[in-house]
Amino acid sequence: MFHANYVAPSSLEELLSVLHHYGGEAKIIAGGTDLIPQMRLGKLAPRILVDPQRLPSHGITETSQSIGLGACLTHTQVINSTLMQRVYPALVDACHQIGGPPVRNRGTLMGNLANASPAADSALPLLVYDAQVVTASLDGEQVIPLREFYTGPGQTRLAVDEFICEIRVPKFSDQTKAVFLKLGNRKAMAIAVASIAVCLSLDELGQIYQARIALGSVAPTPVRAYHAEAILLSNGLNDEIIFAAANAAQQAASPISDLRASAGYRSKMVSVLTRRALQMISRGLSQDDANV
Amino acid sequence: MSEFELHLTINGVLHVIQAEPCLTLLDILRDKLNLTGTKEGCGVGDCGACVVLINGQAVNACLVLAAQAEGKQVITVEGLAQDGNLHPLQQAFAEKWAFQCGFCTPGMLMSCYALLLNNPDPTPEDIRDAITGNLCRCGTYQSVVEAVLSTVKVSRKASHD
Repeated sequence: MFHANYVAPSSLEELLSVLHHYGGEAKIIAGGTDLIPQMRLGKLAPRILVDPQRLPSHGITETSQSIGLGACLTHTQVINSTLMQRVYPALVDACHQIGGPPVRNRGTLMGNLANASPAADSALPLLVYDAQVVTASLDGEQVIPLREFYTGPGQTRLAVDEFICEIRVPKFSDQTKAVFLKLGNRKAMAIAVASIAVCLSLDELGQIYQARIALGSVAPTPVRAYHAEAILLSNGLNDEIIFAAANAAQQAASPISDLRASAGYRSKMVSVLTRRALQMISRGLSQDDANV
Repeated sequence: MSEFELHLTINGVLHVIQAEPCLTLLDILRDKLNLTGTKEGCGVGDCGACVVLINGQAVNACLVLAAQAEGKQVITVEGLAQDGNLHPLQQAFAEKWAFQCGFCTPGMLMSCYALLLNNPDPTPEDIRDAITGNLCRCGTYQSVVEAVLSTVKVSRKASHD
């Protein structure tokens, strides 16, 4: 049992005023799938919960250059969207591996990012799709690249009076392929032991001209594996390059040992997952073929 | 904490309830409305014993603030049987022994009920996916899959007759 006041503003201005007024004592609640357990366990005790679910719009919006994912978009809405399945399949795969159906029906992308778990499944595809976090406060809008958003476990650059109003993801050409892989203790309801998303763009000669790799559960925040990305650039996706990139990916990892796995195991799995993800892209395989 | 007036439609009946805003839907169901079919297991969304439907979707009642269910349609396990007759899914659970101690059963039933609402002809894989958020420590999972499949078969036969 916990105590807090609750408000569900019907306009963004009202929501931002409440956040400004209460400062750090207000918390945004949408799906509540992370927040309510933390409050129940006494880790958080906000004075007021601010629910954005009555704000006018929070769906998926498409422009010529990007796609906007609204504040209260749930994991289930991402999974069921034919647009998301076509344009961001790795994000759909990641959302499908979060919790179980009841959690996915309530939990939101916005919440998964704001909660800033190093193991957040949806953060990895969004990192490799080079998403931006659009925040709003009474001072106006701010656009933060997701790769600069995290500052530590549970910590982000989001100020106490700021609200994530959109996640903006660029569109890609058909030559861009992405995959997400998660290693967990079971297929559902599992927090990742280690996870990865890879996004590559290849030209007509098979040369990689854009490479992004993101790792989960192996550092204080979700991280990009820049060394491995550099190895891939301007090369073809052959076995030699894949093994070199898989080894280099470990440089981005600084894992800890915890109840799920040891640091040493996690480090090794970074290489294994990197190799598997790159091989899947090189062989044109999808998530359904993965046997992790 | 100031009390709220909540309007919840539960199993088709509108309830007007005075409650603290941060009570969960589970607290309201069990403690204010005496609908104790919905169970509290872990209280943090891991076990699925408290699964109910909100607007046709399976959710963990322990992770929903009662205030967030304002104006929504809630269905609990008590809403499955009609006029004293078990719902076909409940009947199939009984026939296939899809429970042992029974604690997970209300949540398990509601996850399967939500599945059938959205997908009337599920594969065994669809059923397993639908109950990934429901723990059964007696280990009746396989019987649950069989019960759902037999419900589908019965309703298919009924629609053919």
